[in-house]
Amino acid sequence: MAIAGKRRYTGGLVDVAAGQISREIFVSDEIYAEELERVFTRAWLFVGHESQIPKPGDYFVSGMGEESVILCRDREDRVHVFLNSCRHRGMKVCRYDEGNTPVFTCPYHGWSYATDGKLVGVPYFREAYHSKLDRSQFGLVEVAQLEIYKGTVWATWDPSAPSFLEYLGEFRRYLDLALDAWDGREGGTEVLGGVQKWLIPCNWKFPAENFSGDSYHNISHRSVDLVGIGPSGSGRRDMRERLIGRRLQICFPDRGHQTGAYVLPNEEPTPPAYQHSPVVSEYFRRCEEQRRERLGAWGRVTGAPGELFPNTALHPRQPRSIAVWHPRGAHRTEVWRWYLVDADAPPEVKDFLRQYYIRYSGPAGLTEQDDMENWNYAHAASRGTIARRHPYSYEQGLGFEVENYEWEGLRIPGTVMDVTDSKSSEHNLRNFYRRWAQFMDANSWDELATWRRRP
Amino acid sequence: MINVRTLEPGTRVALTDGSTVEIVSNPKDGIWVFARYLSSPRDTSLVGTEEMVFAQDMVEIQTTP
Ligand code: FES
Ligand SMILES: [Fe+2]
Repeated sequence: MAIAGKRRYTGGLVDVAAGQISREIFVSDEIYAEELERVFTRAWLFVGHESQIPKPGDYFVSGMGEESVILCRDREDRVHVFLNSCRHRGMKVCRYDEGNTPVFTCPYHGWSYATDGKLVGVPYFREAYHSKLDRSQFGLVEVAQLEIYKGTVWATWDPSAPSFLEYLGEFRRYLDLALDAWDGREGGTEVLGGVQKWLIPCNWKFPAENFSGDSYHNISHRSVDLVGIGPSGSGRRDMRERLIGRRLQICFPDRGHQTGAYVLPNEEPTPPAYQHSPVVSEYFRRCEEQRRERLGAWGRVTGAPGELFPNTALHPRQPRSIAVWHPRGAHRTEVWRWYLVDADAPPEVKDFLRQYYIRYSGPAGLTEQDDMENWNYAHAASRGTIARRHPYSYEQGLGFEVENYEWEGLRIPGTVMDVTDSKSSEHNLRNFYRRWAQFMDANSWDELATWRRRP
Repeated sequence: MINVRTLEPGTRVALTDGSTVEIVSNPKDGIWVFARYLSSPRDTSLVGTEEMVFAQDMVEIQTTP
């Protein structure tokens, strides 16, 4: 399939300039094995939230790529992420989802690790090993870099990857829309309830591209809109922004992150929302007012679904959540969804949001069910020998992107597509795959950190 | 056989090498306990020190708290 003189993916299987992408990258087992190595061991991945491990000894078992990892807080209050695999013969050292422990003891032969990863217990160390095993060499494998950003925990296996903030670039402004308190204070969100986890029979890139900015599929949510699961009783969420503001699709070509956003006109207050409950709608009205005061012009920006490369999806507004698309083979994805809420919101607000969130998202959420049905059947129908010969079309809006976009005095960071009039664009999707292809082709972070090469 | 998970702090246990230890804390993984040596015919310098003790090295409960 590779075209002579070109890299295998960029301009080959992933021909972004022509707006065509081969189905092979979704359904080929060989390409999948390659992306585990080239994407998932090198990128920054979302692991969890600090509020899940508040006390020393607390742990939460998460995943990076296909591999199980332990997010934990050691006795000195330091946060770590370890590979959940014993150094002796590989057994999973922690088989629970979360909890509190002084040690992780391997059930196979009994090696035991402290919460800072050190190997502290080796059965028959004196007798069988004659006290000769160098225990300091056999601690749990730890990630190369870890960053806690506004409560969220991120990690990478690659010591040569740029720092998390550099990896984010200006996309940080949009991540903040999901992590800052609703009134604009920095941070201030916590995880609401447990993490929802479920399996879907499709390649992880189907949901990743969907959250990158596929608003074209709105039609498939029409039944949910008709039911009116939204927090004000109509539609699936409060949508007045799209009637009075600009609808934007924003991406960062050198980073591979992308998101939607709405920008309200100057002087226009944020439309009322959450009107099913007077307490909740008053809470958000006050928060929005304070947010506008605190953030000035930037307070006019409202978040919409986005994707932080490669497999973390953001839903900053309604419902506010973070999803990770864990790869589980070319044909299966394990979705984990964390729900976020202002830590200091009144209980009535949290409860209202919890009800709305699970009505919308997760395995039983009506909106998410529509999406899953599309991804699952699209994947299944793309696996056949004939199907694979025909690339997907990603031509929508090709060539209409704008740099240095500005509207009513507010400059929007990133490459922008104003889709208020055009309704839809696939430019964010192309951006996601452009970056994916770069990861698949590049041999090092020197090649991937393209922004460092600019004068 | 001792059910290691049920050993409470303060319990005194005899070990295979003739030592006696007192349980300090129990992570309840069924494999290890944290214990202090009360006696050790093998190495008297162990007395008073705290170590992780392996379940299969514990032979008998001597006293419970
Ligand atoms: S595999 Fe863990 S102790 Fe042997
Ligand atoms: Fe959707």
